[in-house]
Amino acid sequence: MNLIDQLNALVPAFEESLAKAHTLPQVEELQTAYLGRKGQLAGLMSRLPELTPQERPLFGKSANAVKERLQASMNARLATLNAAQEEAELARFDATLPGRAPWQGTLHPTTLVMEEICSVLTGLGFDVISGPEVETDFHCFEALNLPKDHPARDMQDTLYVTDSIVMRTHTSPMQVRAMLERKKPPLAVIAPGKVYRRDSDITHTPMFHQIEGLLVDKNVSLTHLRGILTAFVRQLFGKDMQVRFRPSFFPFTEPSIEVDISCILCGGKGHVGSTPCRVCKTTGWLEVLGCGMVDPAVFRAVGFDEECTGFAFGLGVERITMLKYGITDLRIFFENDLRFLSQFA
Amino acid sequence: MLVPLSWLREFVPYQGTAQELGDRLTMLGLELEGITNPFAGLEPIVVGHVQQCGKHPEADKLSVCRVDVGNEVLDIVCGAPNVRQGLKVAVVKVGTTLPNGLTIKKATLRGAPSCGMICSEDELGLSDEHDGIMELPQHLTPGQPLLEALGLDTEVLDISITPNRGDCLSILGIARETALAFSLPLTLPEAKLVETDQPAADAVSIHIEAPELCPMYAARVLENAPSAKSPDWLRYRLHAAGVRAISNHVDVTNYIMLELGQPLHAFDLETVRGAAIHVRGADQDEKFTTLDNKTHTLNPADITIRDAERIVALGGVMGGLNSEITDKSSRVLLECARFNPSNIRRTARRLAQHSEASYRFERGVDQLNADYVLNRAASLMAELSGGTVRKGIVKAEPKPWQAPAITLRRQRAVDLLGVDMPTAFCESTLTTLGCRLQAGPAAQTANVACPEIWQVTPPSYRHDLACEADLIEELVRVYGVDNIPPVLPGIIKPLEDTGKPEPAHAFRTRIKHWACGLGLNEAVNYSFVSHKELDFLGQPAEGRISIMNPLSDEQNVLRTHLAAGLLQNLRTNIAQGANGVRLFEVATSFVAAPQTETTAQESTRLAVLLYGNRFDGAWPQTQAEHDYQDIKGIVEHLARHLHLPALSWKQETVAPWLAPGVGIYAGETCIGYAGRVKPALADAFHAKKPVWLAELFLDVLYTMHLTQRIRFAPMPTFPAVRRDITFMCPHGLEVGAVLACIQSQKLPLLADVKLIDLFEPKGGEERNLTFRLTFRHSEKTLQDAEVDKMRDMAVSRVCKELGVRV
Ligand SMILES: [Zn+2]
Repeated sequence: MNLIDQLNALVPAFEESLAKAHTLPQVEELQTAYLGRKGQLAGLMSRLPELTPQERPLFGKSANAVKERLQASMNARLATLNAAQEEAELARFDATLPGRAPWQGTLHPTTLVMEEICSVLTGLGFDVISGPEVETDFHCFEALNLPKDHPARDMQDTLYVTDSIVMRTHTSPMQVRAMLERKKPPLAVIAPGKVYRRDSDITHTPMFHQIEGLLVDKNVSLTHLRGILTAFVRQLFGKDMQVRFRPSFFPFTEPSIEVDISCILCGGKGHVGSTPCRVCKTTGWLEVLGCGMVDPAVFRAVGFDEECTGFAFGLGVERITMLKYGITDLRIFFENDLRFLSQFA
Repeated sequence: MLVPLSWLREFVPYQGTAQELGDRLTMLGLELEGITNPFAGLEPIVVGHVQQCGKHPEADKLSVCRVDVGNEVLDIVCGAPNVRQGLKVAVVKVGTTLPNGLTIKKATLRGAPSCGMICSEDELGLSDEHDGIMELPQHLTPGQPLLEALGLDTEVLDISITPNRGDCLSILGIARETALAFSLPLTLPEAKLVETDQPAADAVSIHIEAPELCPMYAARVLENAPSAKSPDWLRYRLHAAGVRAISNHVDVTNYIMLELGQPLHAFDLETVRGAAIHVRGADQDEKFTTLDNKTHTLNPADITIRDAERIVALGGVMGGLNSEITDKSSRVLLECARFNPSNIRRTARRLAQHSEASYRFERGVDQLNADYVLNRAASLMAELSGGTVRKGIVKAEPKPWQAPAITLRRQRAVDLLGVDMPTAFCESTLTTLGCRLQAGPAAQTANVACPEIWQVTPPSYRHDLACEADLIEELVRVYGVDNIPPVLPGIIKPLEDTGKPEPAHAFRTRIKHWACGLGLNEAVNYSFVSHKELDFLGQPAEGRISIMNPLSDEQNVLRTHLAAGLLQNLRTNIAQGANGVRLFEVATSFVAAPQTETTAQESTRLAVLLYGNRFDGAWPQTQAEHDYQDIKGIVEHLARHLHLPALSWKQETVAPWLAPGVGIYAGETCIGYAGRVKPALADAFHAKKPVWLAELFLDVLYTMHLTQRIRFAPMPTFPAVRRDITFMCPHGLEVGAVLACIQSQKLPLLADVKLIDLFEPKGGEERNLTFRLTFRHSEKTLQDAEVDKMRDMAVSRVCKELGVRV
């Protein structure tokens, strides 16, 4: 066999060996054996002096061709092997391994609901205000048309700090402060916060949260109050929610109105299937807030013109929170059990 | 207010169901709480006729009866002393369960078979009477259901009455609203009064010495009217309305109060000395014993009813033991008065003597109805007792009823309600409500009827109608508040409201979101804790704000800090098996400030509590427990979040429950504190691992944050060069001291220095602190040689000043 034949014979030999090489080291070994500095190709090349000058160019050309062919075969084999290895790695990957997550923080459900309510109302144009939780009798009662020795004081069992200082029983003193500060309309504020009552049983806790709303301006009417509350309730509970107005009594509003919404559980039907609804007790309605047109006595107390028009409303946050999340026990709100808190992530 | 439907129907011919009525009244502002049957469970009881009654052969006290119950005749053994032949009785048959839970079975009593039971009132839950069986009227038919035979009030509406509607605390008041709701006529029961020739004024005189306490006091006198048990219809009706029957005169006063809303009081006239009644305030510290045998110390604001010598009643609140109706009474002085509501309320509250009467006086009674009330009550008393009524009403009325005159503008109603209120509707509604209307002054001068403005005189029973807004409320109540359509208003704001800083509430909300994002769980605790808890934590007594009338000793003081609440929460969660707890709370703390308007200084705080494992799961998280650097890191994170300058940390006394305690400062301003809860205290909360707490003053942070502005700084062009140096420092030398020593040299090219490693060889006297110094020049790349030179300067200074080795 002449040298050129030997040269050409490297190709099938190499390719046959490559086909049997299943790992990268095996391929590397073959590379060294054939293409390395002391490999077979180099060995044949070194025998160039054995050839005649006429034979040499042809040999050189053939050698290059063989070299390229060997390189190409080897690269192809390497690509195949790499692909196979990647595939094997993907096959071993476990997407179901647990994540390395930071601790899950949560906000208290009353915070979530208060914030949602505030954001709906600020979107409608109200500003958020704050005020003290320990209040004077004047701001909490007198200015709100609740004189001393008035039976309406029975409606709110009060915790006293002194005879004339109380824990605020509602968020309404904040509207009194806002009006005193502003001195004249217009005024559109909401006042979220903690309130306190001397009351503790299955449906009452001595502390809870309220949000107060107040709009005073020219030509504010009862239709506007209903408009705002309807918008608010729809934002919170959905577009199909119905709002019902019922006459009631609060010393600081005249007329006073109690607002019901369609029962969340039975959708206002009073029954779930054929069983009576436990949430609304078959009435189809749920009481959610009290409101009304501001009583002229309140305007008088804060130095506003009695001919002003305005409305105020106040709603219990825990009540809405319970409805929204289906929480049945009120006291669980203040135990701060992580098994409860962690549900509101 | 309990309203038996059958009683209501004596005033108004309402034929619909109780539910329908309740629903309509609810929409008029009288909320239906429920419908009950006070005689529930008595449906199976029937009328029986005792045909035969003989002694039981084996037992003296038992009788063997044959009782006709309509469709059969039953053998019944009865132990009542009053059972006898010919009686009409209440019978319960075998298989029935009584309201008291007793199930009647077929039995044999000493050999005699008994197939049922003849009942006493006690057994049927009608009264406490258990001395004998009920004796029913003779005209009843055997077999008739008892409820039907006696015409008992089986449907009672429970209606909640708001404090302004004192006029609805009666059947009459509810009847007025029912008539209004269904356009029905209202009929008052007739008072069929027969008087003798003897004038009542001869028997008693009335003197009101304090008209501001009592504008009107009227009375009637009954003679030869013995006290006795009331008839069944009266007793059962009172039972249905939730009132216990006592005796005829007292029962009538209660009955009339429930029916007409006017509380009455019956005195035994024999005990009223000097045949005179005086009304005035009590003397200071005067003693008086009410008929429940409680002795009270009075003051001049308490209204007293007196005879010529002494107090006989606490006006509007309770009668006296010395003048009450007894079994022996036969001369009755019947009082019907109106008292100042505020005085009644104060007295009733102070003496804790709330009664149905004081409840109504507080809410106002109808002064103009006194004569009718007295006539109806006296005629009923005379009828039930067989007594006679003296001629005339004795009355003192220094302040006759004066109705307010209220100007009502139709346009104002339209403006306030946002819907049209037609003239005819306004006039008919107010008239139906009992108001008198007169066209306004403008109309009178022009001598034409002006339908737009009226002078309105409300009826004497509607004390809640005092101004224009009250009348507008009546209009919309009848119009139907639920018919008001929703209109979304455009809220217009003055320009000066714009450009204000972030409101405090928004800031607090933002802090909560930051904490939540950081992996903390928000807690909300009561604002009150107990003095005991504060004492336990070592909180000094001064500065605390106590609750005067706490619900319990657990909630008798306002919290001065948030730690107490979070520690309670920690206990709760440890009890539930939590291994790691990371809580935060944003809330108000309270400290006494007697000179301020509300006597309290309120500050908003953020508290963070860390306990136990840093992560709640196991692998792949590294397992480690929270330590000081966790709580500090959280506070530093917040400071950066709020763009505050770098904080400084000083170990000092910050709170009695923390050791170590660390004060946190931004510049000179203290922004809060952190530390570890003393193990002895933590142990009380079942915490076996370290508890780390931080409390930050949010009001301070808020103010500081408002002044902070983010300013962009150009990114450095040339690379920084870093050098790490390890110092062997003795224990007690703070990292901060080393940092301060390096920084105080003010090396011009030193951009940053920080601790990057800490190693404490076991049992050694030193710890190895590795610092990284970062050097940078703003205009060129630094050469190694010049950096090394500066590094060496810094190192030698630290070694020299702090006596440490490299
Ligand atoms: Zn429902």
